[in-house]
Amino acid sequence: MSLPVETPSDTSSPPAIDRRALLVSGGALAAGLLGYRWVRSLAPMEAPVFIARGQRYDGPLEQTIRDGLVSTGVEPKSLAGRKVLLKVNLVEPRRSAPQMTTHPAMVVATAEVFRRWGAEVTVGEASGHMRDTELALVESGIGPAVDAAGLDFVDLNFDEVAWIKNGGRASKLAGFYFPRAAMEADLIVSMPKMKTHHWVGATLSLKNMYGILPGIKYGWPKNVLHHAGVPQTVFDINASLGKTIAIVDGIVGMEGDGPIMGSAKPLGLVVVGANPTAVDATCARIMGLDPARISYLQLASQRLGPTGERAIIERGERWRAVASPFRILDRPELQQLRLDSSAVRMS
Amino acid sequence: MAEFARIYCFSRVSLGNLTPAAPYEWYDLWLAGVELAISKLWLLGHSRILPVAPKGRRPAGRRSLSMNWTDEILNQLALEAGWAYRAGGVLASEPLALASLALSGYQRTAAAQRAALRLSEMQNPDGSVGVTLNEPTPGWPTSLAALSWAVASRAEKSRQSLALGQARDRGIAWLLATHGDASIRNPVIGHDASLRGWPWAEGTHSWIEPTALAVLALKATGYSEHPRTREAVALLIDRLLPNGGCNYGNTTVLGQTLLPQPTSSGLALAALAGESDPSGRLTRTVDYLRATLNAETTCLSLAYGLIGLAAHDCTPKQAGDWLARAARRAGREAAPYKRALLTLAALGRECPLISSNVELRVHA
Repeated sequence: MSLPVETPSDTSSPPAIDRRALLVSGGALAAGLLGYRWVRSLAPMEAPVFIARGQRYDGPLEQTIRDGLVSTGVEPKSLAGRKVLLKVNLVEPRRSAPQMTTHPAMVVATAEVFRRWGAEVTVGEASGHMRDTELALVESGIGPAVDAAGLDFVDLNFDEVAWIKNGGRASKLAGFYFPRAAMEADLIVSMPKMKTHHWVGATLSLKNMYGILPGIKYGWPKNVLHHAGVPQTVFDINASLGKTIAIVDGIVGMEGDGPIMGSAKPLGLVVVGANPTAVDATCARIMGLDPARISYLQLASQRLGPTGERAIIERGERWRAVASPFRILDRPELQQLRLDSSAVRMS
Repeated sequence: MAEFARIYCFSRVSLGNLTPAAPYEWYDLWLAGVELAISKLWLLGHSRILPVAPKGRRPAGRRSLSMNWTDEILNQLALEAGWAYRAGGVLASEPLALASLALSGYQRTAAAQRAALRLSEMQNPDGSVGVTLNEPTPGWPTSLAALSWAVASRAEKSRQSLALGQARDRGIAWLLATHGDASIRNPVIGHDASLRGWPWAEGTHSWIEPTALAVLALKATGYSEHPRTREAVALLIDRLLPNGGCNYGNTTVLGQTLLPQPTSSGLALAALAGESDPSGRLTRTVDYLRATLNAETTCLSLAYGLIGLAAHDCTPKQAGDWLARAARRAGREAAPYKRALLTLAALGRECPLISSNVELRVHA
């Protein structure tokens, strides 16, 4: 498909929300929220990533996630009274394909961690392919789980929007319309599935942020972003929003024709980190992909966080100990993303 | 009428608006009360609203369906609070257009026109309608807006009808001048990308739902034979999946056939009413929806699915019960546009989204 960019009229609309106030409340609070280590991790030279193995959806996930957050620099005391948005992945949920979407147990466990730390937790998503969000919630199991846990869900597809300038400028989009819930959050937790992606190799915490943009402005699918370049807009969205950390559901991932039609890949992993770029680079290695060859990680490297192995401080398990190459489609542009086998063996 | 006045006044108080109603609002209130009474009589005597019950038996559930949950929803839709994606949210075009259509469908003409006129105030100088009061782009709600103006302007000649007719014509003109990005056939994608329909956002590809909405608007305004409508119909048929139904708009990607969804399938079926498809995919789409919809189906999927089936005279007998249950499940706190769609689906073949009661004109 050709790649036209968003029309100038789209990017010059007056904002619905007071941008300055939102940016001040979001950015400043995010900076103060997690303390010195968090501030340093906005564009750090190095970043810690926590890997837990042997995890199950019916296991002690709350403890795992708490350990992961604390060991990667999140300070519990600073979260009291703060707004935390859990951004799940419900791109096109099917009851028959639970490997496509963030598991409800991960969401509830994460919410419990932040609630115990005194945060006000909301779960949100702008489903990429489904206008019927209620159906997405039912099919994914997130709806009943969120209700049972007494959590609020916000449908980001239909939320009010605020426009903010493109902080990355890798694409030609002048800015992005973010939903009010995202702008008002002090912290956003990107909670993707560990999945292959048939256009860009892998979809993880950075790509998951596509699903924060409202469908009423970007469509179903969010074709405005595709036309402006997938890697470029993945980078730009993350560079513009900031205040995001990552918790990856790798207990059962998706391999093959991801992000929708792939098959289940049981791994038993949970990967956590305050720097999404470092988390994604680590997940890519676990999946048998070279982060240096994944286009949006190339853009993010050093600008949003480290992707180099030496710059990522491993907490919990070592990635080599849990690596399990994902099956990817037999297409040259995807096969060339493979991590060299020598890199996997090297210790 | 007294019942309506009580609900109306309660709604005003519950919304925190305690100021006395302006004189024109009292007139609206009186008019809306009269409409409510008329619409109840109309519903009682109207045999095509819900699936026809077997002869000799009272239409099961019809009375409760038309007299209870739809009335309560319509009362909400008559107020500005029903014109947003969520309670207390900013005024939004899609909920506003659906509210106007639902009110028209139940003969609440004054309330429908009031909503339609409010929508016309959101029309951009180029004829398009943006997504919310604060967001003039993208213009995908223009189809729904034009449809609601077309329906609301069919009331007796008045200054309002004239204004709505003008808004409709400007909206249709914008639609005809707008199209999705077309490209040459791409071997990794199964559909014919050269066909032009309508996109969600300007400058992007054509997808099922905005194209189906545009076709519905064009057909309702007498443009059934316009080349753009014909091309869009071809696009919709091309995007139907081999085994029926449609995804958001792709058929196969990298050799994998995608899976159907009720919402887009229902809208496609609605737009394809009266069209033929020798490949059989249209028939299989009807079969898909008949096999998929049930008492537990979620609001949007159920509503659009049933509207699509009604457009092909295939409404399941249990439709009324399913809709009432969906409305009960969703509750009063559900997004008004979802509730509007449930009431629209309850009209069956008389739903203004698909009713063929249009002023036929030829615009080749």
